[in-house]
Amino acid sequence: MKKGHVYTLVFMVVLSAALTFTLAASYEAFKPAINQNKTLQEQRAVLYALGLDEGLEDSEVTALYEETIRPGDLNGKSEIAGLPVLAQVADGQEVAYAVPFNGAALWGALRGYLGVKADLSETTGVVFTYQNETPGLGGRIDEDAYKAQFRGLAIAPGTQLRYGTQDGQTLDAVTGATQTSAAVLRTLNHLLAEEIFPGEGK
Amino acid sequence: MSEKPRDIIKRNLFSENQVLRGILGICSSLAVTNTMKNSLVMGLGLSFVTALSSLTLSAMRNAIPHRVRMLVQTLVIAVYVIFVDLLLQAYLPDISKQLGPYVGLIITNCIIMGRAEAYAQKNPPVPSMLDGLFAGLGYTLVLMIISLIREVLGFGSIFGMNVNLIGFETWTIMIMPPAAFFIIGGLIWWLSARAAKKAALTGE
Repeated sequence: MKKGHVYTLVFMVVLSAALTFTLAASYEAFKPAINQNKTLQEQRAVLYALGLDEGLEDSEVTALYEETIRPGDLNGKSEIAGLPVLAQVADGQEVAYAVPFNGAALWGALRGYLGVKADLSETTGVVFTYQNETPGLGGRIDEDAYKAQFRGLAIAPGTQLRYGTQDGQTLDAVTGATQTSAAVLRTLNHLLAEEIFPGEGK
Repeated sequence: MSEKPRDIIKRNLFSENQVLRGILGICSSLAVTNTMKNSLVMGLGLSFVTALSSLTLSAMRNAIPHRVRMLVQTLVIAVYVIFVDLLLQAYLPDISKQLGPYVGLIITNCIIMGRAEAYAQKNPPVPSMLDGLFAGLGYTLVLMIISLIREVLGFGSIFGMNVNLIGFETWTIMIMPPAAFFIIGGLIWWLSARAAKKAALTGE
């Protein structure tokens, strides 16, 4: 069946328009759910970094977040890497900060929060809000077994996190994901040196 | 209608399995098969896209100008893939996050366009949809077998549930892509040897 140029052109234009319209319409329909998931994920992430998320229900996450998290500032900065610094407030006192970071991992950007106590003596946890690492390999930095290692690490000016055991603290990399694991520490060490303890211990 | 639904199903699941006999969709078979959950979602996503794109393309088959048929196929497939991506983001955000870039890469899976070219452009919509659906399920089946082996030996778990009761040392190699190479190779060997034996017996 041979069809003319005009037919072919019109066919492509009409089809493209119809399909694009369908997609745009379905995106609009899904947008509220997608945005709600994003907000929820972000809130859950912040709570996780601060060590407050112990398998909370979705509704509890939002309630706890609104009750305890306020905009904060760290060493006079209220924003790092374009993301706000958040503070955990208890009895009107800032007890911990969720410090955002934005680094580069193996396949793409690595964003998340490092939770630190307000006196900057130890970490409360780490969380990744965006990563594009290989699922099942580098992507496993998102698993609890890896992230839980970053709870309660003693930090001080000049601290360099390393895999292995140092000062009685052990950190294990993800098996099969050397590059991603190294990128996480590179990002966190940069954050420690430049934002959490700026101008100290160099 | 020349081919019975039963034959379409059997052909796509076993005798002409797209992964093992057609050697299509190998890239994602290597990439996402280290856990069963990812494999299942990937397989179902692909089945959904292949079924609906075959249906759509078959329904339009007499209107599509022959020389731009591949453009049309790509366009239709892309629309369904983005739709699946949105669906996962909206209702299964955790899995969407885990599968990451692989959902978008469903479009590059040769099985979808293979079915569109080899079947949907010559057959009516309903058989085409069946053909696409079961080509996808055949792919899912292979992925599940590979990921079962890899997850049990690599992580000591099935669908994330610990089954490592005797506490054996898990095999790191099973988590890495080369393991899928060995397993796929083994499966292809087994299936081809069977087909060759059958052919020899019937004197073909």
